[in-house]
Amino acid sequence: MASKPAAFAAVTPAIVEELRGIAGASNVIVDAERLEAYSHDETSAEEYGRMPEAVVLATDTEIVAAIVRLANRERVPVTPRGAGSGLSGGAIPLYGGIVLSLEKMNRLLELDVGNMVAVVEAGMVTNDLAELVQGKGLFFAGYPMSLQTCMIGGNIAENAGGGKAVKYGVTGRYVQGLTLVTPKGDVVRLGGKLSKDVSGYDLKRLVIGSEGTLGVVTEAIIGLVGYPTAKSDLLVLWKTPREAIDAVPAIMAKGLAPTSLEFMDRLSIRASCGYLNESLPYDEAGAMLLVEVDGSDPAKVEADLIAIGELCEERGALEVYVAEDRNNIERIWNVRRNIAEAFKVQSPVQSLEDIVVPMASIPEIIPVLERLSAAYGMTIPCYGHAGDGNLHATLVKDPGMDMATWRRNEDLCLRELYAAVRDLGGKISGEHGIGIKRKAHLARLVDPVELELMRSIKLAWDPNGIMNPGKIFDPDGAPVPDGAPGMAP
Amino acid sequence: MRILVPIKQVPETGDVKMDPETGTVVRAGVETVVNPLDLYAVEAALRLKAERGGTVVALSMGPAQAAKALREAVAMGCDEAVLVSDRRFGGSDTWATSYTIAQAARKLGYFDLVIAGERATDGDTAQVGPGIASWLGLPLATYVSRIESVEGGEMILERLVEDGYQRLAITLPALLTVVKEIASPRLPTLRGKKRSKDIDIAVLDADSIDLDPSYLGLKGSPTKVVRIASPKVSRGGATVIAKDDEGVAAAADGLVAFLEKKGLL
Repeated sequence: MASKPAAFAAVTPAIVEELRGIAGASNVIVDAERLEAYSHDETSAEEYGRMPEAVVLATDTEIVAAIVRLANRERVPVTPRGAGSGLSGGAIPLYGGIVLSLEKMNRLLELDVGNMVAVVEAGMVTNDLAELVQGKGLFFAGYPMSLQTCMIGGNIAENAGGGKAVKYGVTGRYVQGLTLVTPKGDVVRLGGKLSKDVSGYDLKRLVIGSEGTLGVVTEAIIGLVGYPTAKSDLLVLWKTPREAIDAVPAIMAKGLAPTSLEFMDRLSIRASCGYLNESLPYDEAGAMLLVEVDGSDPAKVEADLIAIGELCEERGALEVYVAEDRNNIERIWNVRRNIAEAFKVQSPVQSLEDIVVPMASIPEIIPVLERLSAAYGMTIPCYGHAGDGNLHATLVKDPGMDMATWRRNEDLCLRELYAAVRDLGGKISGEHGIGIKRKAHLARLVDPVELELMRSIKLAWDPNGIMNPGKIFDPDGAPVPDGAPGMAP
Repeated sequence: MRILVPIKQVPETGDVKMDPETGTVVRAGVETVVNPLDLYAVEAALRLKAERGGTVVALSMGPAQAAKALREAVAMGCDEAVLVSDRRFGGSDTWATSYTIAQAARKLGYFDLVIAGERATDGDTAQVGPGIASWLGLPLATYVSRIESVEGGEMILERLVEDGYQRLAITLPALLTVVKEIASPRLPTLRGKKRSKDIDIAVLDADSIDLDPSYLGLKGSPTKVVRIASPKVSRGGATVIAKDDEGVAAAADGLVAFLEKKGLL
């Protein structure tokens, strides 16, 4: 086992003064009312929220480095934060300390059209980057569903996926270089404006998806592709989820390469369409697939769209709808995007899961969810990125169930679900990350050798364990805060 | 029933640009869609057809590219598509446009009903539908929100008016312009799309319609755009602050006074 990090220190008035000196007084927040906003992300604040002792709004890499050096010297935990739109508690200051917000570092530093890269600060909103480069005919393809709020730094920390990953892959594929402030407060530039680089260990890749535990990403070199000028969608209605899910590998096997292949089960469709007042004739539909095709040749996009639609018809789809203009495309994506929100209205207590299985195994998961739903008395809508095997099954608490029963059933249900996922060769998180939310389950499911390797990397990079502690796995020997969420039972 | 639905192709974005020289909408290089408000007319027509049988004919006046809008209407379920297209129609205002469409409709034979959208999202005049009714001498009901019944050559309708709904009877043939409440438009189906790719779109040019040449295009349009200017928007607001619970009542009074002064209460 790796050796133990020292206990954490509190943010004293003297430390606050030093933070003000480094970042400017107006960029240091200590009053409780304003701190509250930095105490949670998109996971349930009630279940996972934790108050920071101070928030610093950094404005450049040197300031970030100076703050981290101070924190490392004083043994104060540091939690990097972007938009706080994460879904696993990655930006929550579990042990208090300093939240280091990059929201003010939102500049486009360079748009290098010749190299097809954008150099950006980590606090840039993903959608702003997408819009800035679109003007030059370029496209940022690592595109999470929360693109209107999430920030590039958070996308990198979580290696975010999203609705276009079937064709374009996830965020990491487009990160050609990054500037990292290490947990000791050093500044290092990894990678570059390069699409190939095997000069030593691929530390850049190690940082991507490390959930802010290995340092603070302050800048990134983002690879861009040509903007796909043509885009069309199909919304396919199926009688049963099984038929819908079975069609997914069939579509992929034809080599038709859709951009998106999203699945929605009956519960998801009804909740979202009800929430949106959407009039699609979904009464008969047990499931829907949303398929997007894009490219630069409208005729090819249309031909692929028709080929996929015909394949679905041959496989017994109830109806195949076509959306070719922005209004109709937005209309059907709205159904997909509003599922989570619709269920929050029905019941705010829920567990949004992020399981990922080999694509051809997706049909095996549906009966598992049906069984668990019946066994534990909870609604489990299932939707997500079927084209890459990544499904957002969501455990929704019945409003009549008491919280104690819910917590017990949630844990038992997740244990069974995750065991089934593991047996299929899958993992418990495809794109949301482990964070606080899933670390107890990861500890149980991960190969001990793998866990020890992860711990030793963490120790080598962050000997004092100050950088986003308590994420992915518990720090050895760190004081466990009272009633801390997500602790292994 | 034989139903005619005149539709318009409009720029896709909300960012409509005007040509300051001619005072007409710049269409070059802009993605186009069926005027979203026309889709409610298409839907209303398709529902009547589903209930009562018949045919729905979509018609659009515009350049050759407007065929795309017609194909979308066919993909939704319209049976036939007619493109009214001629260089001589270019620059038509609402008067010349409604005249040309009305004459094209005469050429196409008898219709029990003409259903138009409330207005187009680019021109925003809401004049072409009523204009067609006027040229064809048809009874007109605008802002129709519900078709209650169709019986014995008479329809019972509901219109959305400023202070509620108006229920009325109208004799057929007639022209309706419809609002969003009438029915939510369906999405085109793959079957419809494939049919729309293959369908022959009838094209009517100026020579194939009985038209008075002096009524056509920019020259035949009585509307003359003299100048286009963007209004200056100046919103003088007031900030009312309540620092604590005690301040709330005073702040509310301040807000009420402000709104009253502006004539908003």
